[in-house]
Amino acid sequence: MATDPMAEIRAGFFVECEELLESLQDSLVLLQDGRTDSETVNTVFRAVHSIKGGAGAFGLDALVAFAHRYETVLDALRSGQLEATPEAVRSFFQAADLLQDHVRAARDGAPPPEGAEEVLRTLEALIGGGGETAEPPPDFQPIALDFQPITLSFDFDALDEPAAPARWVIRFRPTDALYASGNEPLHLLRALAALGSAEVACDTTAVPPLDALPPEAALLAWRITLPGEIAEAEIREVFDFVEDVCALEIARETGTGAEPPAVAPAGVPGCAAEAPAAPQVPPAPVDAAIVDAAPLPAATPAAAPPRETSGRHAPPAEVSATVRVDLDRIDRLVNLVGELVINQAMLAQSVAEAGLPPNSAVMTGLEAFMMLTRDLQDSVMMIRAQPVKPLFQRMARIVREASAAVGKEVRLHTEGETTEVDKTVIERLAEPLTHMIRNAVDHGLETPELRLAAGKPAEGVISLTAQHRSGRIVIEVADDGAGINRPKVREIALARGLIPADAALTDAEIDNLLFLPGFSTASQVSALSGRGVGMDVVRQAIQSLGGRVTIQSAPGAGTRFSISLPLTLAVLDGMVVSVADETLVVPLSSILETATLAAGDIRALGPQTNVIHLRGAFVPLYDLGAELGYRAPLPSYEGAVVLLTAQEDGSRAALIVDAIHEQRQVVIKGLQQAYGRIPGVAAATILGNGRIALILDTADLVQTASGRTRISQLALAG
Amino acid sequence: MTTLALGPRLDLLHAGHACAEIRACEGRDLVLDAGHVTHLGALGLQILLAAARSWRAAGLSLIIAPRSAAFDDALVLFGLPLAALQSEGVA
Repeated sequence: MATDPMAEIRAGFFVECEELLESLQDSLVLLQDGRTDSETVNTVFRAVHSIKGGAGAFGLDALVAFAHRYETVLDALRSGQLEATPEAVRSFFQAADLLQDHVRAARDGAPPPEGAEEVLRTLEALIGGGGETAEPPPDFQPIALDFQPITLSFDFDALDEPAAPARWVIRFRPTDALYASGNEPLHLLRALAALGSAEVACDTTAVPPLDALPPEAALLAWRITLPGEIAEAEIREVFDFVEDVCALEIARETGTGAEPPAVAPAGVPGCAAEAPAAPQVPPAPVDAAIVDAAPLPAATPAAAPPRETSGRHAPPAEVSATVRVDLDRIDRLVNLVGELVINQAMLAQSVAEAGLPPNSAVMTGLEAFMMLTRDLQDSVMMIRAQPVKPLFQRMARIVREASAAVGKEVRLHTEGETTEVDKTVIERLAEPLTHMIRNAVDHGLETPELRLAAGKPAEGVISLTAQHRSGRIVIEVADDGAGINRPKVREIALARGLIPADAALTDAEIDNLLFLPGFSTASQVSALSGRGVGMDVVRQAIQSLGGRVTIQSAPGAGTRFSISLPLTLAVLDGMVVSVADETLVVPLSSILETATLAAGDIRALGPQTNVIHLRGAFVPLYDLGAELGYRAPLPSYEGAVVLLTAQEDGSRAALIVDAIHEQRQVVIKGLQQAYGRIPGVAAATILGNGRIALILDTADLVQTASGRTRISQLALAG
Repeated sequence: MTTLALGPRLDLLHAGHACAEIRACEGRDLVLDAGHVTHLGALGLQILLAAARSWRAAGLSLIIAPRSAAFDDALVLFGLPLAALQSEGVA
């Protein structure tokens, strides 16, 4: 079988689950912020309930069981029996995290997550002990019936209140499409039975003898009676996934005339009782034989009877039109557009070499083509762009878990969740960001006692923000803790021999010591943020994404880490330069300005290095040709072209190049997989002439550079 | 008496096969072994109902034994008694 329809439907369900989990997290954050209005509470409830309903349809019993118990407690919140106290919301968050684990375990076929029982018990303690069990009601008593529609009573909740609302009668007839789409009436019946005392009657009249049976045709129908206290919306939610592939009628029982007949007499019926077989014709209306109800149209989507308009389940205000596309297809498109950009550059070069006049039809057409290519590329990149919200929600969980582990009260404040960035950037950012958040909780924030003593609220705040700035995305992790303890950082750096004893370091330089491999300020190794190997790994991970990370810290006020990243890893705007006959690309984002050096701009510093004097400041000079090993330093840099670049810590560096050719968008072709990491080189690209050019990582280049811009006199003498 | 063991899943993917297997036993008293059934779906149920109808019409015996707990649970949820799926035969 080429594709498994059930697998596809299951995959669709899990995508829905992710969306529901996201909406659950959103609403829990609102609850945490004191928004206890019914809409927020209902959204929380609905998310869990919908996951349960869908999971039931796929027979994911462990997930159903967990969601059911969670939902029971949320129902108490919905009915006002439970208040959304901070403790309660904390438990809801924990349960939401585990629900997410359950969903993913079910998706991956992994065993259910551990620790669920403990979380559920804490949760259920909020409503005074164990809630309902997740198992389907146990005490079913099958009774032998005829082949005519029959009724069985699940009699575990038999005593209806005299004043109770009329019972619900659900008439449900699957169509062939229901089965074909991987749904299963058994799961729906189980979900209905879980709602309350159910009576189920199965209409088997359309089932023919075996030799006339089409094995995949929908021939059965059911009539289910449920207690009137159940909200109609809850019943409808059970059918959420199948509404358009079944005939469904949900109505209140209307007086005695519509009562189902008493359970048919016991005993095995004789053959004469068989109903006429009608396999090839549309099935009869649902249990028309036993209830005096209007027949349901067979094989048509459920009619839309007026739903309860209590406001409990208000329909979503707007549904944006979206389509789910396999990521492979998008990547193929991105690659093709990349090839198109390269091809267009080659074409442009050929046209330029042909020496056509600038206002010729070919040149005009080519310019229009280039603009269209650029628009096309931007549009394709936007398809891959995703909001950072799911990433931030993951971090919210990290904060909860990390704060619980170290006994600190921490609140996560997020901003700019809708900021979009390339999907790959989001995926690869998760690990470094997790580490930074853990560090902030573990090392950044003080203990509640110390905070109170410092006149701060016991609850620490970690801010996670995202915004677009100058064509890059800037993500900041800030805490309102004690700030970096610079004397201690310095002391540790000295003790480990990372800096000489007499080093005169600025605050920023001391802060940057945190990024040195193996550095840790924690006197005790904590299980949470490890052995202090984190921050250098964090920086490496961010650099491998073409990003930079910087620190700002104020004693007593907190620390802020800023990560600046490219919006995409597929293209970049670069300056095409040449050095010793090699063509290189320098990312435009790292270039502050370009200049031609005059004799008075250059000052010697030490035997082999130069600095340039630029607007009152001295900037170290690096010769790209010498640093990359293409040639020796030039004897004189007078008249040389420099690119003034910005470094992570705000400092600047001047790079000598032989010539600047053009500024253009280039398609990034990764080198790391094929060659591993090359110091100073971020990636490569293909130029219009078909040659490969290296894309430089200027920050990395400067960090590892010798700074040799002069041939030492000793070397010359030798 | 012929015995036929039913597969663990009686659903959309396996209904056709199960139907063909039972059809192949027509004309004989039959015992269906449902001891290993982990999922009895509605399409599987239809096949068993249709088989019972055929066996009854032929006056032959059709018994489902042994049965797994999952099988019995599903029957209860479907609202059907076991007798609906069996035939006692003429004797």
